[in-house]
Amino acid sequence: MLKAVYRIAWKDVVGDLRRRATLSSMLFFSIAVLVVFQAAFEPDRQAATKLLPGLLWATVLFTSLMGLGRVFQAEEENGAFEGLMLASVPRGIIFLGKWLGNLLLTLLVQAMILPLTLILFNVDAWHLIPHIFGVLILGILGLTGLGVLLAAMTQAARSRETLLALLLLPLVAPLLIAGVQATAGVMVPDGQPGPWIRLLLIFDTVYLALAPWGFGWLVEE
Amino acid sequence: MAKLVVSDLHHRFGRHRVLRGVDLTMSSGQCVVLFGDNGSGKSTLLTLLSTRFSLQKGHYKLDDLDAADQGDTIRSRLVFISHNSHLYGHLTSVENLLFFADLRGLDCSEKRLRAAVETVGLAPFADRPTRWFSAGMKKRLTLARVLVAKPDLLLLDEPYSALDVQGVNWLNTLLADFIQGGGMIIMASHDPQRVAALNHQPHTLRKGRLTAQKELLGC
Amino acid sequence: MNFLARIQRPLGIITLLALGASTWMVFNAPLDFQQGNSVRILYAHVPSAKMALFCYILLTLSSIVYLWKKNETADILAEAAAPVGAAFTAVTLASGAIWGKPMWGTWWAWDARLTSMLVLLILYMGIMALRNALDEPLKAARATAVLAIIGAVDLPIIHYSVVWWRTLHQPASFGGSSGNPSITGDLLPPLLAMAISFILLGGYLVVLKAREVEAHRQLEQLDVERMEEDD
Repeated sequence: MLKAVYRIAWKDVVGDLRRRATLSSMLFFSIAVLVVFQAAFEPDRQAATKLLPGLLWATVLFTSLMGLGRVFQAEEENGAFEGLMLASVPRGIIFLGKWLGNLLLTLLVQAMILPLTLILFNVDAWHLIPHIFGVLILGILGLTGLGVLLAAMTQAARSRETLLALLLLPLVAPLLIAGVQATAGVMVPDGQPGPWIRLLLIFDTVYLALAPWGFGWLVEE
Repeated sequence: MAKLVVSDLHHRFGRHRVLRGVDLTMSSGQCVVLFGDNGSGKSTLLTLLSTRFSLQKGHYKLDDLDAADQGDTIRSRLVFISHNSHLYGHLTSVENLLFFADLRGLDCSEKRLRAAVETVGLAPFADRPTRWFSAGMKKRLTLARVLVAKPDLLLLDEPYSALDVQGVNWLNTLLADFIQGGGMIIMASHDPQRVAALNHQPHTLRKGRLTAQKELLGC
Repeated sequence: MNFLARIQRPLGIITLLALGASTWMVFNAPLDFQQGNSVRILYAHVPSAKMALFCYILLTLSSIVYLWKKNETADILAEAAAPVGAAFTAVTLASGAIWGKPMWGTWWAWDARLTSMLVLLILYMGIMALRNALDEPLKAARATAVLAIIGAVDLPIIHYSVVWWRTLHQPASFGGSSGNPSITGDLLPPLLAMAISFILLGGYLVVLKAREVEAHRQLEQLDVERMEEDD
């Protein structure tokens, strides 16, 4: 069953790298978002440091929303989704495969966005990159978990991308708050990211436990 | 000896009733062909038998496995070749088969997958992305799944549709071998001529019910 | 569902009488000397906030029952509870803003209750939009049920994360995270009466909506049957 999880994730990641579909559009979209933020706020170096956690998480949220819109698009070609449903592994395993694929792609994009943000906003926080990225990973685990579930939910819906955003944004409000606070916490010497990291972990656990179960209900016909 | 028993199967889409009490019993080495008009429910019945749709009313058993709660296990014993090829365009022929094998928990060597690709006549295209394949090539590649999985039950929805005369003969040989080896086939078709070469039991689906045709067609 | 049809009219009459009586009580209650007339808004605000949550609880329970028992009545109740809950949530937010302007000097504050209420409103909207956007009734019913349950798990997380956020960031805005003044003495009976009236009103609206949903589904059923006869 782990092989099935790996194979689905492999198919999505390799497919994306071969077509350069989601990855590149997510990356360029994130650059566009950063430029918009820069133009809108025009922060100086000090303000940019203060704004950085918020900017970073808003960018993460927007770009992953873009990636999530495509998670199940790949399964529409040749009715491949039906093929997935004919697999002899439980539905939850299929969810985990789709989730892992999206998680890896999103992390790959974020790994590029983080240094880009530091450069574009002229923030000197290079020594903090491992810490900030650690917080990002914790947030993205739950974000993609909930996101892939909602993507499956809106898969057959009319104007699904708008609907996906409408459903995802309110539900990830706690994740966004905790992510921004935790990032701000690791960036200052006397910061206290502890409680926020705990909240991120709660969010991850709850959604990664609920999502495979919910997915089973959504795809049953 | 594998055995398939379907009794009093009903199915509705929303409020539209498609199947209204289908009964069917068959065992290893038999081939049932479903005839019927468009929209008579042939595809629905096949999809139900593939356990893609959950049962709404009625019973479906493959040997001792009940589709109501052992769908996963039943799925591991059948292959469903539907209208959709389920192929990923960016993956090669062999990679598509590998994906199929891993999702069924089959332990397949690459050699065996390549052999299957060769048997269906796609050896020169084994490492090409399937995106540019013609409909006939796609159909051949989906049939390679039968060789990889060696299922007990094979469900086919209009398998001849994309094939030329040569392809039809080739497919009939493949299916005859499959039945010979003790497999069960349930196939939907609208064309009695093409299945004529195959030893089969014709059934007709009309108004949501299945009836066996009295006169035997073919040899 | 016959039961709903039978209780609809009597429930409506009782609701109307209760609302009339409690409104009379509210306007005869003594005024709070600090807040003046604007305190009367709270008599609508507090009960509708409670009903906004009650409707969500009803929605969640119906969704669980629907997934578990595949009971269509539960799905009809879930479909009916969403718009009613959304209406109460909107009333809560609007009355809170109107009351907040003279009291706090601002229409809006990002405190835990307001933020959770706003998220609740968007969630209700999302649930309704999802049902609307899925053409197949079975899929729509299951998807909204799963979403409602996910939302039920999320709401407490949202509430506590905003509470933490506000207390760690801006301690004691407007006297702690709660913006409601304590209501005591003579103000209590009219509030209780209003709360009961709102529960009746909520129940009546859900019954009304459920019957509409049911009639709509029966109509579709008849449509399909007529089409089948034509075949």
